[in-house]
Amino acid sequence: MVLPVLASLLLLTPPQGSPPDVLPQSVHANVACDDCHAAEGAKVQCQRCHLANYEKTLDSVHQRAVARGDRVAPGCVGCHGTHDVKKAAQPRAAIAQGCAKCHEGVAAVYAASVHGTGVAANNADTPVCTDCHRAHDVAGPRKTQWALRTPELCGSCHANTALMKKYGLSAKVLSTYLSDFHGKTAALRGTQGTEPNGAVVARCTDCHGVHGIQKATAATSPVIQANLLQTCRQCHPEATPNFPAAWLSHYEPSIKKAPVVYAVKIGYAIVIPFMIGGLGLQILLHLWRLMANR
Amino acid sequence: MKTQAQAVVRFSALQRAEHFAVMLIFIVLAVTGFPQKFFDYRWAQVTIGWLGGVDTARWFHRAAGIAFGALLAAHVARLVFGVAVHRTSLSMVPAKRDFRDAIQTLRYYFGTTDRPARFDRFDYRQKFEYWGLLLGSVIVVGTGLVLLYPILTARFLPGEVIPAAYLAHSQEGLMAFLVVIVWHIYNAHLSPDVFPFDTSIFTGRISVERMQHEHPLELQRLQPVGPERESKIA
Repeated sequence: MVLPVLASLLLLTPPQGSPPDVLPQSVHANVACDDCHAAEGAKVQCQRCHLANYEKTLDSVHQRAVARGDRVAPGCVGCHGTHDVKKAAQPRAAIAQGCAKCHEGVAAVYAASVHGTGVAANNADTPVCTDCHRAHDVAGPRKTQWALRTPELCGSCHANTALMKKYGLSAKVLSTYLSDFHGKTAALRGTQGTEPNGAVVARCTDCHGVHGIQKATAATSPVIQANLLQTCRQCHPEATPNFPAAWLSHYEPSIKKAPVVYAVKIGYAIVIPFMIGGLGLQILLHLWRLMANR
Repeated sequence: MKTQAQAVVRFSALQRAEHFAVMLIFIVLAVTGFPQKFFDYRWAQVTIGWLGGVDTARWFHRAAGIAFGALLAAHVARLVFGVAVHRTSLSMVPAKRDFRDAIQTLRYYFGTTDRPARFDRFDYRQKFEYWGLLLGSVIVVGTGLVLLYPILTARFLPGEVIPAAYLAHSQEGLMAFLVVIVWHIYNAHLSPDVFPFDTSIFTGRISVERMQHEHPLELQRLQPVGPERESKIA
C-alpha cells in the first residue's frame, strides 16, 4: 500500500481509485478493458484510437524530455489520467491546474495574471496554457522560431476586432506593432528563411510580460507611462526620459496622439502623388508635342 | 577628326565620378531599403532572404547611407569652397528665367507658341531634379542619422521625432525612387530626344548638335564666333 502511494507522489499524479469505481464516470465508460489492456503487462497503446494527437506529442518538448531520460515529463496519462480520463477542457481552468502539477512557479504567476484570473472566473475568451503553448505538440518556448511567432500568437486574439471590442481593447495592436521598427524586424526575421543572428528584438511579451501579463492600464504594468522608461532600458540602457515617446503606444498617428508624425504622413500623401503626377503629365505633354510636330 | 570636333566637354571627371557613385549607392539603398518598407510582401521577404537576412541587409543599408552622407557633405563642401575661393558661378541656382522657361515650355507643348524655350547650361527640369535630389538627400541623410542614433536623438529632441523621421525616411526614399523611375529614366533613356541612352554623364561629352538643340545659350557662350571654332571644343 505504501509503495504505490509513494510512486504516484513521485509521478505527481494523485492516487486513483480502483478501475471499476472510476471508469464508469470517465469518458471511457463504454470502452472495454481489453481495448486498452491488450495483454497482461503490455503498455497501453493510446494511439490505437488517438493516433493524430499521439503523433503530435512526438514533436513535443515533453517527448524530447522523455527521450533524454526524464522520468517526470508526461506522456498521455501524465496529463489525462488513467481510468478517470475526462474531457480535457472541463472546466478550462482544469488545464492550467494540470500543468501546475509540474510547472508550479509559472502557474502561480499565471493565476494572478489578467489571463489567469479570467480563466478562473470561467471566461471562455481568456487563454489557458495550451492556447499559447499548444496541447499535444507543446513547443519549446526557448526556440527562435517560437520567439518569432509571438506577435502572430498574441495577434490570434488581440487582432480579432469583434473579440477585442467586447473588452474595449484596440484590435490594431498587431498592425501598429508591425509597422514600427521592432515589429518589422521580428516579421522579417521570421520570413527571411535563415536563422536570425542575435536575439529576437522586442516582441509583445518583452514589454507586456509573459505569464504574469497585466492590463496595460494596471499600476504595476511594465507598459504604463510611469514604468515605460524602465521597460525600454531592458534593451536600451542609455535611454533618457524622452525616449519612450518614440513608441506611439499602439496608436495610429493622429492630430491628437502624434501630431508631428501625422503631419509627415499627410505631407507625403499629398506631395508624392502631386510630384509624380506632375512629372508624368509633363512627359506625356512632351511626347504629344513631338508627335504633333512630325 | 570630325566626330571629335563635334563634341563638347559637358561634365568634368569629378562630376562624372559623383554621378556614378550616386547611382551605385542609390541602387544599394533601394535594394536593401524597400524590402524593409514593404516587409509583408513576398518579393520583399525573398529579397531579404537573398541578401542574407534583415540584419545583413541593414548593415549594407547603413554602410551605403554613410557613404551617401559623405558624398553629400563632400559635394556641398566643394560648392561652398568653389564659390568662396574661386568665385565660381553656380549654374544650378534657379533664376527668374527658369520660371519663364517653364511657362514657355508648357505653352510650346500646348501649341500656344511656336518657339521652344532656349536653355543655358542647365534647363529648368535639370535644375528641378538636381535640387530635388539635393534636398531629398539632406532629408534622407538627416532622418537616417536619427534612426541610426535614436537614443542620442532623444537626449536632445522629443521622442516623437524618431517615428516622424522613420516615416519621412521611408516616404522620401519612395518619392526619390519614383522620381528616378518616372522622370530620370525618361529623360536619360526613354525620351525620343536621347533614346536609348544619354551617355554624356558617363563620357563627359555631348554632341554639338544636341547642344544646339538642348543648350543653345551655353553653346553661344562657348563658341562666340561659330560652331566650328576649335578653342573650347574637345
